[in-house]
Amino acid sequence: MAAELTHRWRPPRVIESATHRRLILGGLALYGLLALVTVEIDLARIAEGLTRTSAFFAGWLRPDFVTRWTDIRAGLLESLAMTAVATAAALLLSIPLGLGAARNLVPGPVYMTARAVLAVARAFHEILVAILFVAMFGFGPFAGVVTLVVASVGFLGKLLAEAVEEVDPAPLEALTAAGASWGSRVVFGVLPQIMPRVMGLALYRLDINFRESAVIGLVGAGGIGATLTTAFSRYEFESVSAILILIIGMVFGAEVISGRLRQRLL
Amino acid sequence: MSEQQHPLRIDDLVVRYGRGEPVISGVSIALGPKEIVGLIGASAAGKSTLLRAVQRLVEPESGQILLDGVDLTRLPREELRGARRRLGMIFQEHALIERLTVMENVLAGTLGRTGFWRSVRRRFDPDDIEEAFGLLDRVGLTGLEDSRCDELSGGQKQRVGIARALIQHPDVLLVDEPTASLDPATSVRIMGLITEICSERNLAAIINLHDVPLARRFCPRIIGLLEGRVAFDGPPSALDDAVLQRVYGDEATRAHADAAGEAGPTEEEEEEEEEPGRGADTTGASAEGEDSLGG
Repeated sequence: MAAELTHRWRPPRVIESATHRRLILGGLALYGLLALVTVEIDLARIAEGLTRTSAFFAGWLRPDFVTRWTDIRAGLLESLAMTAVATAAALLLSIPLGLGAARNLVPGPVYMTARAVLAVARAFHEILVAILFVAMFGFGPFAGVVTLVVASVGFLGKLLAEAVEEVDPAPLEALTAAGASWGSRVVFGVLPQIMPRVMGLALYRLDINFRESAVIGLVGAGGIGATLTTAFSRYEFESVSAILILIIGMVFGAEVISGRLRQRLL
Repeated sequence: MSEQQHPLRIDDLVVRYGRGEPVISGVSIALGPKEIVGLIGASAAGKSTLLRAVQRLVEPESGQILLDGVDLTRLPREELRGARRRLGMIFQEHALIERLTVMENVLAGTLGRTGFWRSVRRRFDPDDIEEAFGLLDRVGLTGLEDSRCDELSGGQKQRVGIARALIQHPDVLLVDEPTASLDPATSVRIMGLITEICSERNLAAIINLHDVPLARRFCPRIIGLLEGRVAFDGPPSALDDAVLQRVYGDEATRAHADAAGEAGPTEEEEEEEEEPGRGADTTGASAEGEDSLGG
């Protein structure tokens, strides 16, 4: 029977030439090896760090909510406030930007401008943006809020624009045919279609912003992150542990609440 | 041939997408008052494009579209919005906003005369709201005003689409494959409703139909499009096999088979309602008694 086989088939290879394939793979392996060599590995330093790590984990097992409670509470409340304000402001800004960045709604120049604004907003990681704003506005939660707004606008605006570009065009055409203005078409034809996405993304971003508020606090932008850095720099691992546990708890709580909200709203 | 005699006159219309061959190449149709025209033709014949061009959802390349003597092809944007209101359009696949309620979808037909902020806050003119309730009764959707459209059956959705077109107070209805997504019995009912409403309100209409028996049954005048040109224009009685062969070309065998079969479903078949929605069955059936189907 085997002799009757007339077709042999294998999936086409990404790189046709076998020589090229070997050269590329060999080159990658060589580079990996050389890169590893250039990373200085200081065993003595690692050993020293291990003792600190054990202190850290020991602290982790004995979380101390009490000693620094006033600071922790203030930090958490500040983070929550930053998160709420930043997410709400970002949502308000990102809806017009998202509509402007949707190819099916606006003329070319508006589209390009809105896309450019969104691209700039997403160009740098939150940490870099936070460093910039801390330098501009000084230490504290205001720099943090502005950072979170910029990052969230980039995130929400881009994803909303994509949602807008995927709406069913038929109802929009029907509204045009009824003589509706551009604004009414958006309000009646586009927003109802993207609302589930908007709510879902906003809740998700709320969650991200709370976590980010802990991170950007490390560079001085306020919130629970600032409390966390302080505790770290004082080697108060028991307080660090308490803070981390609270962050985990709050993220988890946010997950539960946003799940409930989503079920109700959608 | 004064303009008053033609609520809508299409003169030598040419429509082209990009640089290709024209999709509509020189179509002229003069619609008489209260006249219902069935537009038939193969899938790529340009039926939908023709209706969309009349609304200027697609910009025509040349020719005239005279609505009560006013040439739509020359209207600037703002005036075009006003003219569009007078052309009520009913769409294939209904084109409703699925997540909004029936009432919101019907009132969407008034957006041409409702201001932006009123539309945002859903503060519609009380007269429009009153009229919307009346229209829902008329199309057989009494009591469903607060249902979300994605809860409705295909036939019910098309009824919402009809109400939305009517609340525009149109002079002419442009109907694009109203039965494309419906089962045969519901198709007959929807076509019956549309033609009844046209005669009640003295509306002229152009109805795209892929279903030749349905066109024969409901449209006193039939126009066959072939490759963007009018290939037939006459009463259903003149629509014989030779004409169908010409209009449908390769599709002729299929069209012929359709035409030779029963002219739509029988009256008994139409009894059962397809609606899973609440409370629509009785209202739907009573709104259009079988005797008034115009068959």
